[in-house]
Amino acid sequence: MKWATGGWLVALLLAVGPLAVAQRSSERGARSAALAPCDADRDRGRAMLAAQCYRGVAAGADPAAQAEAYWMLGDLKAANERFREAVRLDPENPDLRVRWGHLYVESHQAAEAGQLFEEALELDEDHLPARLGMARVLASRFEGKAVELAEAALEDAPQGVEAHLLLGRMALEEGDLASARESLDEALANAAAAGVAPLEAYSLLASLEMLEGEPDNEWVRKALEYNPRYGEVYADQAHFYVITRRYREATERLRKAVAVAPRLWQAHAELGVNLMREGLDEEGRRHLEIAYRGDPYSAKTVNTLRLLDTYPRFETHRSAPAGDGDWPQAELRLDRDEAQLLLPYAMNLTLRAIDEFSDRYDFELQRPVRVELYPNHDDFAVRTMAMPGIGLLGVTFGYVVAMDSPSGREPGAFHWGTTLWHELAHVFTLEATDHLVPRWYSEGISMYEEWRADPRWGESVTPEYIQAVEEGQLLPVADLDRGFIRPRFPEQVVISYLQAGYICQLIAERWGEGKLLELLRGFADGRTTAENVRQVLGVAPEEFDKQFTQYTEESLGPAHGGLKRWRRSLQTALEAMRDEDWEAAMAAAEDAKAAYPQHVGAGCSYVLLATAHEESGRREQAIANLTEYERRRGRRPETLKKLARWLEEAGREAEALHTYEGLLYNWPQDEEVHRRLGELYLAAGRPDSAKREFEAVLALDPLDRVRAEFDLARAYVKMGQSARARLHVLRALERAPTYRPALRLLQQVRR
Amino acid sequence: MTLLAPAAGRAVLAWAALSALGALEATGATHFLVVEGLGGRRSYAEAFREQVETLLPVLRETAGESGSVRVAAGVEATAERVGSELEAISAALGPGDEVAVILIGHGSHDGRTYKFNLPGPDLTDRQLKAWLDAVPAARQLVVSTTSSSGGALATLKSPRRVVITATKNGRERNATVFGQYWVEAFSEPSADTDKNEAISALEAFRYAEDKVAAHFADSKRLATEHPQIEGQQPGSFLLARLGAAAELASDPRRRGLLERREALERNVADLAAGKESMSEGEYLDALQEVLLELAEVQEMIGGSEEEGP
Repeated sequence: MKWATGGWLVALLLAVGPLAVAQRSSERGARSAALAPCDADRDRGRAMLAAQCYRGVAAGADPAAQAEAYWMLGDLKAANERFREAVRLDPENPDLRVRWGHLYVESHQAAEAGQLFEEALELDEDHLPARLGMARVLASRFEGKAVELAEAALEDAPQGVEAHLLLGRMALEEGDLASARESLDEALANAAAAGVAPLEAYSLLASLEMLEGEPDNEWVRKALEYNPRYGEVYADQAHFYVITRRYREATERLRKAVAVAPRLWQAHAELGVNLMREGLDEEGRRHLEIAYRGDPYSAKTVNTLRLLDTYPRFETHRSAPAGDGDWPQAELRLDRDEAQLLLPYAMNLTLRAIDEFSDRYDFELQRPVRVELYPNHDDFAVRTMAMPGIGLLGVTFGYVVAMDSPSGREPGAFHWGTTLWHELAHVFTLEATDHLVPRWYSEGISMYEEWRADPRWGESVTPEYIQAVEEGQLLPVADLDRGFIRPRFPEQVVISYLQAGYICQLIAERWGEGKLLELLRGFADGRTTAENVRQVLGVAPEEFDKQFTQYTEESLGPAHGGLKRWRRSLQTALEAMRDEDWEAAMAAAEDAKAAYPQHVGAGCSYVLLATAHEESGRREQAIANLTEYERRRGRRPETLKKLARWLEEAGREAEALHTYEGLLYNWPQDEEVHRRLGELYLAAGRPDSAKREFEAVLALDPLDRVRAEFDLARAYVKMGQSARARLHVLRALERAPTYRPALRLLQQVRR
Repeated sequence: MTLLAPAAGRAVLAWAALSALGALEATGATHFLVVEGLGGRRSYAEAFREQVETLLPVLRETAGESGSVRVAAGVEATAERVGSELEAISAALGPGDEVAVILIGHGSHDGRTYKFNLPGPDLTDRQLKAWLDAVPAARQLVVSTTSSSGGALATLKSPRRVVITATKNGRERNATVFGQYWVEAFSEPSADTDKNEAISALEAFRYAEDKVAAHFADSKRLATEHPQIEGQQPGSFLLARLGAAAELASDPRRRGLLERREALERNVADLAAGKESMSEGEYLDALQEVLLELAEVQEMIGGSEEEGP
């Protein structure tokens, strides 16, 4: 998975936030005693009896009890209205607002739920159910503060159930199985003591043992014995499979969930989304439609169905069958408006990645890799999380990669080549380990592979990372997954990506690249990170952390401790640039560069220096600075185009070609890049490549279509394909009959 | 763009421009009036002056001896002066002559009236319309590169007038970039999309429209201007000749060849119009035949040595 630079990340986990569970202890707000017999039937799966009982309560006069009864009967709208009435009649009662909040949790409206818990806390700041409700909302968003709230609640009520359940769930999500078991054992014991149904505790214990390798364990059996319709036990297991990216296994659990509980709408929705992750769109649609009929309030369900409706707009292109399997290794799903432009580049890159990664990770694909490029970022967001507005760039679900298309983002904001490469590396790390690879290692390998593929690719070290190093905020290798799953501060996810990448780089440099594969095999065998580091690298994880800290400080060079100087000098340089005092600007920008040479973000020293040198008539130095900017992963297309133009003007065509080629993976929508590349390829005697570029110009529906057709004809002439040349020159002349160069070319290729 | 949907527009309207060069010779001369409005800030004033200075030699070349180019700039560029210049143009008009008025500067719109900012009272869209309506030219072109210029579209619209504005309506009030690109079109070979060595009103508009869109996309800002074009056959309103076209247009010795070329261009257009009734092979063979003849005529005419393969 790749994030948008500077974007806030909510990990893939959002796709399946924990399912609401029918646990109705007073820790979730006090309820009418009249509901107790109904709850008992419901908890035991006696649906008919429960429904009859709830209908009786709904016919009563207490609006709070009515609300609960309607809720249990599935009429969320009536429940909402009754809660509103109950709160109107008893506005000072925090329990009512907490109960109403939980209704919102169940109807997928976490923000509204949070608001109600806040209101309850305004009425009583110590109100335990409200604090726990808030912790549950934050936990569903994978926010680190949830742990803090749950722990505080536990201190006040150590004999409670809810806080233990929440802590157990969050520990499971972070992969800390020992802590999870401790919390869940406590929850189970306290539930028994309090006479609360143990179903959620059973369910989470069932998930825990599933993560330990036994999906069909005694807790599943106990949960179903207690309530034969308790599909949540499987749905919970699926949730944990999804967050460990084991989608096939999740699908199998979800199928069981809907088999025992056909009216568990959220499980149908999750099953639908998960089937789509495996590329099984039609079956996915069927379950989403079932989910929608039962629960029309789920934005995830609605958004995903809408996305499915856009699929006829996409074209699927397959690579030629390869190898013994006689099946195509790559399938690209592209929006038909941009398929012609992107297909050659995306297909080449995908096949190159498959070739390299198959070799490096010693893994042969078992089925085609499907790459989906979405020009509408919200479609991509729905595809990956089922909710729009999420700042990710690409996500891999095993053999399916979904990502923004280059046109889904603004120029320079997204390097699609490096993103695709990153995601394709995930295909191999996930599939080679049967999805057992920990998140940090899969991300680390992907980051490392980006840097390895092209020095201009991958991410640069950010000021936030440097600051984290300086403040000792990097996580130990054995705990690095925590930085991805439940970040303690907003930048921690991005920092963890970089840290994971640098860890892989250190391993490759110090122990050799072969160890990366050995580690991957170790994860496939089920080893933990600590065990794997010890066994493969021959050092204790703590020792590895020490070595990594030293390596990081060395590789950061002057940037380690240099941020203050960098900021000061950069500010001086910008002010001098505004005053057009080029000499002063250059001196300050040189100092900023010396303090933090890796910085290529907005207002970087290299671009300032290039401008100042150019304004002072020193083109060579200007070129040198932009060349360094490019080498250090500078991304702004306009700046790189300027470099390419300057290189051409300086007669350095080969270097210009290199820069333009780099731009293809950054901003392929630029006509001028393709046109210049075409010309340079023609001049370099590479008409095949020139043809591809001139075809790209045509795919962009250029204003000057005549010139584009003519250029393509020229490429065909050089390739010796007169018939194709004639066709394209005639297409040019059809629009511009007096175009002299084309007329001359026609005379040359006439039939 | 209100003429046609963009994709279809490009393909179809290119034909309207095919005979632009010949059309000018056949119909009459073009009389240009360029008005440079107030810049306000120095940077704008300099930019407007530069645009006008770039434009004038191009228009003079196009107008030739039979047409005219009039300029109102600086303190003399009053609304009253615009009116008197249009009167003078009316008096000089010959049969088939065309008139183009180009407004470069800032504009405003108060919800009812568009105003072009000039020294003294501003020029309003109604004033301009009244004066233009009184000019008995065969065809007219009005180009306003100013902010809020779209607010004048409805008022200036007329069956014998092409109107080009930098903005979609009067509410797009920010200073525009359209003018700079519109002027740039006259020296940019890629703006000559039909490669007839001439830039028509439509080609200049298309070029500037593309550049404006790219300008905002590249600077990651929401576009604050959306250029508009209204009127019939803007592709046949010639604004500039490039390279040898200028020389050819004024050479009476080559008139016969130019007429022959025009006839062949029409043949190409006719063939394209009947394309659906032939197989692709037949069409391409027929097209090739006409074009090879046209190539010979072009060689006899001589002229531009644009880069070839």
